[in-house]
Amino acid sequence: MAAGGGGSYDPLAPAGVPCAFSPDSQAYFALASSDGQLRVWETANNRLHQEYVPSAHLSGTCTCLAWAPARLQAKESHQRKKRKSEVTGTKDQADLLALGTAVGSILLYSTVRGELHSKLTSGGHENRVNCIQWHQDNDCLYSCSDDKYIVEWSTQTCKVKCKWKGDNSSVSSLCISPDGKMLLSAGRTIKLWVLETKEVYRHFTGHATPVSSLRFTTIRPNESQPSDGITGLYFLSGAVHDRLLNVWQVRSENKEKSAVMSFTVTDEPVYVDLTLSENKEEPVKLAVVCRDGQVHLFEHILNGHCKKPLTSNCTIQIATPGKGKKVTPKPIPILAASFCLDKMSLLLVYGNWFQPTIERVALNSKDTHICLERDISNCWAPTVETAITKVKTPVMNSEAKVLVPGIPGHHAPIKLPPAQPKEAENKRKLGSTEATIEERLGAMDLDRKGRKDDLQTNSFAVLLTQGLESNDFEILNKVLQTKNVNLIKRTVLRIPLRVVIPLLQELTKRLQGHPNSAALMIQWLKCVLTIHASYLSTLPDLVEQLGTLYQLMESRVKTFQKLSNLHGKLILLVTQVTASEKSKKMTSPGQKAKLVYEEESSEEESDDEVPEKDSDDNWDEDEDKDSEKDEGVDEDNEEEDEDMEDKEENEEDREVSSEKELNGDSDLDPENESEEE
Amino acid sequence: MVEEGVRVVRCGGSRLNFRRAVFSVDSKYIFCVSGDFVKVYSTTTEECVHILHGHTDLVSGILVNPSNHLQLYSCSFDGTIKLWDYVDGILIKTFTIGPKLHAFFIPLHAEDSVFLTISKEEPDIFQLVSVKLPKSTSQDVEARQLTFVLDYINRSPKCIAFGNEGEYVAAVRDFYLSVYFFKKKKTCNFTLPSTKNKKNAKNKFTCVACHPKEDCIASGHMDGKIRLWRNFHSDQKYTYTCLHWHHDMVMDLAFTVTGTSLLSGGRECVLVEWRDGSEKNKEFLPRLGSSIEHISVSPAGDLFCTSHSDNKITVIHRNLDASAVIQGLVKDRSISTGLMVDPRTKALVLNGKPGHLQFYSLQGDKQLYNLDIIQQEYINDEGLTQTELTKAAFGCSGTWLATVEQRQENENELELQMKLWNYSKKTQGFVLNTKIAMPHDDHITALCFNNAESYEKPILVTASRDGHFKVWILTDDSDIYKKAIAWTCDFVGSYHKYQATNCCFSEDGSLLAVSFEEIVTIWDSQTWELKCTFCQRAGKIRHLCFGRLTCSKYLLGTTDNGILCCWNLLSCSIQWSAKLNVRVMEPDPYSDHVAAVAQSSAGSDLFVFKPSEPRPLYIQKNVSREEVQWGVFVPRDVPESFTSETHQWLNRSQFYFLTKSQSLLTFSTKSPEEKLTPTSKQLLAEESLPTTPFSFILGKHRQQQGAKLTETSENELVQLPLTENIPAITELLHTPAHVLPSASFLCSLFVNSLLLSKETKSAEEVPDDVDMEGNKESDDSDEEYDLTEKDKETNNNTDLGEDAIHQLSKSEEKELRKFRKVDYSWLTAL
Repeated sequence: MAAGGGGSYDPLAPAGVPCAFSPDSQAYFALASSDGQLRVWETANNRLHQEYVPSAHLSGTCTCLAWAPARLQAKESHQRKKRKSEVTGTKDQADLLALGTAVGSILLYSTVRGELHSKLTSGGHENRVNCIQWHQDNDCLYSCSDDKYIVEWSTQTCKVKCKWKGDNSSVSSLCISPDGKMLLSAGRTIKLWVLETKEVYRHFTGHATPVSSLRFTTIRPNESQPSDGITGLYFLSGAVHDRLLNVWQVRSENKEKSAVMSFTVTDEPVYVDLTLSENKEEPVKLAVVCRDGQVHLFEHILNGHCKKPLTSNCTIQIATPGKGKKVTPKPIPILAASFCLDKMSLLLVYGNWFQPTIERVALNSKDTHICLERDISNCWAPTVETAITKVKTPVMNSEAKVLVPGIPGHHAPIKLPPAQPKEAENKRKLGSTEATIEERLGAMDLDRKGRKDDLQTNSFAVLLTQGLESNDFEILNKVLQTKNVNLIKRTVLRIPLRVVIPLLQELTKRLQGHPNSAALMIQWLKCVLTIHASYLSTLPDLVEQLGTLYQLMESRVKTFQKLSNLHGKLILLVTQVTASEKSKKMTSPGQKAKLVYEEESSEEESDDEVPEKDSDDNWDEDEDKDSEKDEGVDEDNEEEDEDMEDKEENEEDREVSSEKELNGDSDLDPENESEEE
Repeated sequence: MVEEGVRVVRCGGSRLNFRRAVFSVDSKYIFCVSGDFVKVYSTTTEECVHILHGHTDLVSGILVNPSNHLQLYSCSFDGTIKLWDYVDGILIKTFTIGPKLHAFFIPLHAEDSVFLTISKEEPDIFQLVSVKLPKSTSQDVEARQLTFVLDYINRSPKCIAFGNEGEYVAAVRDFYLSVYFFKKKKTCNFTLPSTKNKKNAKNKFTCVACHPKEDCIASGHMDGKIRLWRNFHSDQKYTYTCLHWHHDMVMDLAFTVTGTSLLSGGRECVLVEWRDGSEKNKEFLPRLGSSIEHISVSPAGDLFCTSHSDNKITVIHRNLDASAVIQGLVKDRSISTGLMVDPRTKALVLNGKPGHLQFYSLQGDKQLYNLDIIQQEYINDEGLTQTELTKAAFGCSGTWLATVEQRQENENELELQMKLWNYSKKTQGFVLNTKIAMPHDDHITALCFNNAESYEKPILVTASRDGHFKVWILTDDSDIYKKAIAWTCDFVGSYHKYQATNCCFSEDGSLLAVSFEEIVTIWDSQTWELKCTFCQRAGKIRHLCFGRLTCSKYLLGTTDNGILCCWNLLSCSIQWSAKLNVRVMEPDPYSDHVAAVAQSSAGSDLFVFKPSEPRPLYIQKNVSREEVQWGVFVPRDVPESFTSETHQWLNRSQFYFLTKSQSLLTFSTKSPEEKLTPTSKQLLAEESLPTTPFSFILGKHRQQQGAKLTETSENELVQLPLTENIPAITELLHTPAHVLPSASFLCSLFVNSLLLSKETKSAEEVPDDVDMEGNKESDDSDEEYDLTEKDKETNNNTDLGEDAIHQLSKSEEKELRKFRKVDYSWLTAL
């Protein structure tokens, strides 16, 4: 007979590698790989807990393994005093692991101590051990083998308590009944033994091929009448090369020998786990891992016969992520699955045997087919360092978004005070203004054609306008990188009003960039805002358009906020006064409105502007006073030596805020103004 | 179900690094103190094998019994020394000394006397005394006969060392080294010459170690120097050499077993091995994580271990390779994140190593892993301001993790960073999604996710001392290069420039409550409109939480001047209030219960109540002497089904809390007896391993016997005599010898039980049985003989009495006779 992992291939050997979850809390997952090594993984953090190589691992490969029922860790000490706080460390802890080998010996390995505990050999099996079961209540261990015998061991003495012939062919699987008084064995047929007398109680037909798994599915019989603890119980069996898992019922009369019902799966079952149902109503949940790497989940209330094989309620598959058309997703085999204590989630073990990934998957979806996408490419390189330092480093890559003060998203976007209905209106309007920009573009060309001779002196303004409208990076660079303050002033003065907003937006974009270029942009920004303040203040949707700029400035001038606010306001006032004086002296470059809408009580354009301006300033001062009252105390420690940048930025920000308010006030007649444009 | 009273139980988190860890002789186990207990760990698997409990105060020292390597001494602040059998985890003896014991020492060749550090009448003055531990059969022994040895010593056991097979003892304190020679009964004192020089004021001694073979003392100093003292037999002729690598104080020193190299460690987190006592010849093991507090060496010489300030013990191979880490709950610094539960793994999450979040398994009482949030190399040096992880929160059943880190060098320079991590199912790990620099202008005081399932988009709210709270939402951040999602700020709220102190979402996520100092504001989470405000003017709000399930219309708040208020959100009025100085208030996520821990002069009291009524459902007075700092409800895997009102709150979740000294406590309803099933029911597998050639001789004999038995009943059902089913035998074999009554009393009982239990048994089988028992007993004693000869002698003499010896010797004779028959020819063939 071939050894499980040996060179020769036994067609009737069960597929899969012996593996098991530790009982109760499933803290560990033990796996005996075909190279003869036993590896124990921690399920909670997917870490290799220990490795053990039995001394005869090449000749006697591990064929099956079973965890001992949880033992108590700390023993009672003889003088325990009553104390307020006691240790709870006396929890059940999985320790012993029984390993059956291909040569017939059974090893007991202590996972707590990390060493071999005992070796059960004398009087035991002479051939490959097929299945080991621990008795849940006493110290007995049952094993079956290819040598046709079933052996009852006492783990206290490590001796054979009893050995009997289980079948005429090799016995492949065992299971102990929930009350601990009966034993199921599967050889050629499935037999139910009474443990006390070692007599056969019932026979079942079994499978055509060796049975690889046997499990009781119910704890208590469904019948209401008092029973002997075994009659009426259901159990499940799966076999090598068999796509059907059969359910059998222990009947009181010894006639029925065939299966009550069956579950059908896609391939040979390699690992079976189920939740025991404790009463009649509770369905049995069954998870079957097949050789093709899928998990099939069944949920069924066991209640008598069912002729048609049941198909699974849910199938779980795992695949690698595919990247476009180049990399197609590849399936990742699931190796084992176990229900968690809450019965609502499943522990899945997948990947390769040497570095499996253990994951807890919640089962709350109603889908009949779940495909999980998992990337296990990094699992191929086992990191020894993590095992010792226990540090996990989360991924920090460049794809993460970085928000710094001033960048949109760092602060709430500025919205108009009124709620959604108004906003929708605004949006519509925004669309309409965009449309008008296009119109204006058309108008621009006409304009230029019309007064080509005027534009001789201010090629920069033309360039800038062109650049903004075509969004040409090179032109913009050429213009905006000027350092000449006067040139900037003149250019700004000469640009048409319609490009003011695009210019501001371009400037905002550049301000967010490198500090050096930002310093240049400040000059531009200052000029635009001082010269076109009056125009800007008439725009209804200015708050939305320049909100980002406002926030940017807000965050950049945080250091001397109050002082620079005041400074900015003063500069604005002074420049406005001087500008108005100048404008009296010299005529501004003619910018004819394309359309002049005249109301009945229409006034001159310049008159229209002045009162608006005034109201703006008045408001400004009011607000200023308020804020000073509120936080006047803080201003003492502010220093005088603020640099140019601060000043400039400040006036801008004050400006915007004032404009925002203004818009709020002058919401009544935005239509007029847009028409005027 | 019989319901027991609810008790407070400790569930971990005691300091493992309080004293040096100790190796067993075979290096298989490592012992360390842990609060009132001694823990036995396996050096290979890092698992806790036993917890030795019996002391009633902090354990202050442990040592392996030099005369029996299977026994362990421990001394404690409760004034007792206890002797343990660590293999089985049994207390053997208790010696009552009396005064508080700070440290103890057992030099190799001192007969039955141990040395203890006790404090004199005045505080902070300690002396070294020796005491003879009397030989006695009784379990409780008084030993109050103290002999004075040295005065004015340092209380730390690191400052005392016994050298050269117990010939002398070296003690250091401040700037002095004193050596006391036992034979000459003479003390030599050495003072560092540089003490007068103010420049070298950092010369203080910190620790001392003695060479195991030679007359050489190594001392560590505050300034990082190590001095090797020789020739200290006379006050004048002494010499010392200086080894200098550490830039900060030397925390501990240890010589290897042979004395060829010296190990030192300190705050640099580097273990330094000085070979041959020369400065040039040194090896390093760097990056051990945190400062090394203790170093110990296994008696076999193959392993070292270092105890670190972050409650960790690192086991290191002789070739300076770290092989295992025993990590307790990290408690290096203050816990500012509070306690959280990771919804995915159900692990407890709190501050861990500097810049890390630790995930701690409550079931296994061990650390799962540390998640490196800050990802900066931690430089452990005094005076450096570190970036600290101050807040963290899980959202959306564990898919999102928000962390806040801050670094503040001085008042005006605050560096804040918020990181939002996404749990990637594909790679099964956290991936940084959004990094926000300076999310607020001042400290962030609270952080909460909207965890309601009805909301498809997660919402995060941060409250800050700058007077604002910000609402962050997850938005689409795709561009032409990639598809992505990222967090952006959606709303900024404030209330009259008051500092925002707390925030929390209602259970269904429709309301957000933010407290601004004394005022609670309620916001609609759809439109971010201010719905209403509650102002109690009763002090600043300390905690804020909404009721759950049936009590979801209530909002609870506590203030810092000791008032607990409950507001009704439907009527917008106060429902009830109570005078209670609440330190911790936690709602149970799975029920409508709320737990509050109040601080009173006597200690901390626990109150469990429903917000709907002001009557507490359960009160537990004095849950801890210290202040309780944090608490959390951890959902149970399998819900309990208590019916009584006082227990109902424990059905779905369990309440854990952390005290100021950072011990983690919880409530349990199980009685201690229930948790400890009696030893007779335990599954104790006998160890049986045919390994050595010697055991093969024994094994052959056993096999022959076994073969005989199987021959008698070929392939038929074989029922072996079930000796282990006879209670008297199992009792006799599995009860430790020292607790058994005298053997003369047992003998008749034992024999009787054999005769009576199997009446039907044939006469032939009975002697067979006895024979087997005899064999087994002799086997046992053989094992013991191998390991500790002395012990067996004393044990047999004292405990078993003459009858037992007689019996044993009989069976031994039998054994010997069989030995003669055994074929030894294979030995010659070897």
